[in-house]
Amino acid sequence: MAIPFDQILIQTVNGLVNGMILALVASGLTLIFGIMDIVNFAHGELVMLGGFTGATALAVTGSFWLALVAAVLTIALLGALLQATALRPLVGRDPLTTILATFGISLVLQKYALWQWGPSARKLQEPITGQFNLFYLEYPWYRVLTALLAAGIIGALYLFLRYGKYGIWIRAATQDRIMAQAMGIPVPLVHAVVFGIGASMAAASGVLFGPLGGVTQTMGADFTLRAFIVVVVGGMGNLGGSILASILISLIEAYASLVVSPAQAVIASFVVLILTQLFRPTGLFVPTPK
Amino acid sequence: MLALENVHTYYGKSHILHGVSIEVGPGEVVGLLGRNGVGKSTTLKTIMGLVRPSGGSVRFEGRDIAGMAPHRPAHLGIAYVPEERRIFRLLSVLENLRTGLDRPGVSESRKNELLENAYEHFPVLRDRRNQAGGTLSGGEQQMLAIARAMMLDPKIILLDEPTEGLMPRMVSQIREIIHVLHRGGVAILLVEQNVPLTLEVSSRVYIMEKGVVRHHGPTADLRANQAVIHQYLGV
Amino acid sequence: MTTRSSAAGYWIGFGVVLALLAVAPLVLPEFWRRFVTEILVWGLLAMSSDILIGYTGMVSFGHSAFFGLGMYGAAAALLTVRPPNLWLAIVYGLVGAGLVAVFVAYFSTRLRDIYFAITTLVFSQIFYVIIFTWTEVTGGENGLTFRQPPFAIPGLVSVPFTPVTLHWFILGVVVVSYVVLRRIMQSPFGKVLQAIRENEPRTRAIGYHVERYKIVAVMLSGLFAGLAGVLYAVQNKFTAPDFVFFLISGEVVIFNVMGGMGTLVGPVAGAAFFLVLREGLSRFWTEYYLIPVGLIFTAMVIFMPQGLLGFLKRRLNQ
Repeated sequence: MAIPFDQILIQTVNGLVNGMILALVASGLTLIFGIMDIVNFAHGELVMLGGFTGATALAVTGSFWLALVAAVLTIALLGALLQATALRPLVGRDPLTTILATFGISLVLQKYALWQWGPSARKLQEPITGQFNLFYLEYPWYRVLTALLAAGIIGALYLFLRYGKYGIWIRAATQDRIMAQAMGIPVPLVHAVVFGIGASMAAASGVLFGPLGGVTQTMGADFTLRAFIVVVVGGMGNLGGSILASILISLIEAYASLVVSPAQAVIASFVVLILTQLFRPTGLFVPTPK
Repeated sequence: MLALENVHTYYGKSHILHGVSIEVGPGEVVGLLGRNGVGKSTTLKTIMGLVRPSGGSVRFEGRDIAGMAPHRPAHLGIAYVPEERRIFRLLSVLENLRTGLDRPGVSESRKNELLENAYEHFPVLRDRRNQAGGTLSGGEQQMLAIARAMMLDPKIILLDEPTEGLMPRMVSQIREIIHVLHRGGVAILLVEQNVPLTLEVSSRVYIMEKGVVRHHGPTADLRANQAVIHQYLGV
Repeated sequence: MTTRSSAAGYWIGFGVVLALLAVAPLVLPEFWRRFVTEILVWGLLAMSSDILIGYTGMVSFGHSAFFGLGMYGAAAALLTVRPPNLWLAIVYGLVGAGLVAVFVAYFSTRLRDIYFAITTLVFSQIFYVIIFTWTEVTGGENGLTFRQPPFAIPGLVSVPFTPVTLHWFILGVVVVSYVVLRRIMQSPFGKVLQAIRENEPRTRAIGYHVERYKIVAVMLSGLFAGLAGVLYAVQNKFTAPDFVFFLISGEVVIFNVMGGMGTLVGPVAGAAFFLVLREGLSRFWTEYYLIPVGLIFTAMVIFMPQGLLGFLKRRLNQ
């Protein structure tokens, strides 16, 4: 069975766009892990809540961009609150306890969404409706814009961490929590803020994804799983690695769905994860430790 | 200025400090001597709020600081140079220094002044300001740790074995900076194994053994009393 | 309290609970009889995962795969062999779960903490997707239905199960499993697993082949989870992909945390607590019962890490 070249090219574009949204989710996850050693099982639920909050805000304000900002701010606050209440008491305990606690939080958030927004999917109206020709397809500009926006947000995160006072605080707190405190850095506050930032990136992905795939209360687990795969394949806590892995995984899934059903295409990314763990357990895009 | 009174500290179930009382006046250089594992470092960590005392009081300028959040002592003017130096290895030298500068209420000009001051005393840090902290040599890391503490504009610096493992040339540089800080009116609580250096720079000395202060008095008395030094320090 | 009298107290408590569970189906109405039987099955599943979570310190988020493959294995035996044979169902189920366990065990030798958790989750999802989409063999979304096998000892008896005798049979399997697992966990082997949980590098340094112990632990855990799957299939006479889905794995983790990890009976108590909680809350809250349950669960992780059983034990000892 030969696959036409144009289909492959379309899937390449699709894979890149999906990869950037996934990269945005994974960057937040990897930020939270890299800085606090917290494995956030509720991350996908934050994507989902971001999507729903965006949908509600869009209905009220009529502006997609306002809705995006509203969702990002709301979920950032929620994230900081979750960190301060549920996760702060677990600092210094077995890392397994944070997996368990965030798993419990994910149950609550998911059912809360079901209660608040019901079981049906919400599709957000895209802010721009233009299209361009990609072979026989009319390809929406919005998809391209999504990829660019995701890249922009990740770039902003990088600059924020690299330069500026809070970036230094965050990196100092990551490397040596105790010494950072001795230097007067309010580490618990830094942690809450970092969790808030990670959560807000998840929320942004949820809103951006809204016009593409719709928002449902069950979408969180899928995002959590895929983000985890990406973060492990890219190397835990490695921002650049997660971005490359997001694109790689999304491309592989896009190509796989040319031959099998999308449900089965997911297995391709599972296989990548398993192979990575077998041969490069520290991640594909990390220099081999000497 | 800084006063510990009958402080008890535990690590888990092991009782480390059994009622330690120490006092440091404004601008005073005080030595804290003792063999390994007698609780000197724990005393400093307790002052910094990094371990919580289970009994007794730690007061700084009259305020009880024992129960404070661990980042508060730095804001009150207590700086800490830990034994392991604890440089932020992946941060550049300048970023290491900035961890202490970017506090609320410090003007840009004051920040520059503090930085220039540190660079003047440790020119090597200026040369390497964009290099990662982890790439510095042991001696340079010690300079950086002290310079970083100076960024807090502290009233007192807690120095934990600053000369440990350093070459003699570096040791004299440390001696030099202690004098500079002293002249600048900064109090110092110096934990050391290096007895001659401690006796030279300190005005008073405490000697600890098994979690308690066994001896304390003016340095001059101790110099005259070699028996005490021999008994507790074995030199 | 001396160890002897506390051991006696343990066996008295064990006997009392056992007697209550044996009498339960005779006095309870139909609905609650089924309920208690289900608690036993889920309790066995929870107990099997405790070997990893509680004793070895590896959180498995993939126990649904063992459980589900146990169910599908039993289904295969009950649908292909005439007349349906209970023991063959158990053998097939154990083989199914065992095959998955071999996969997972192979990986678990090199993975720790979150990597293990994610990989087990991914494995269970792979099996879920295969079962969900391979409709010709597995029945796809609808699953498979089959007849309940009779209780038979070849050449001696063959009697169909009544709800009461099925309860007794399941009770018997669960109790034997418990006694066996308890024995294993108190053996030198079990002590090594606990040493791995406390400090893996040190255990390795002492000279234990940590990987081998982990492989055996995963196999053991997977087989008993598969056994629970077989029991569930026999009780309910059907199997569906939902039981391979990771939500089941999540519930198993909840059972462990709620009841008390590393105690074997704790997870069973946790399963009972969770199912009662769900039964009670879902009457008012329908599917939103997971909101309060999730809150209770999270609070227990933070404030009561030793679980209900550990909490009660400490209270009683005071």
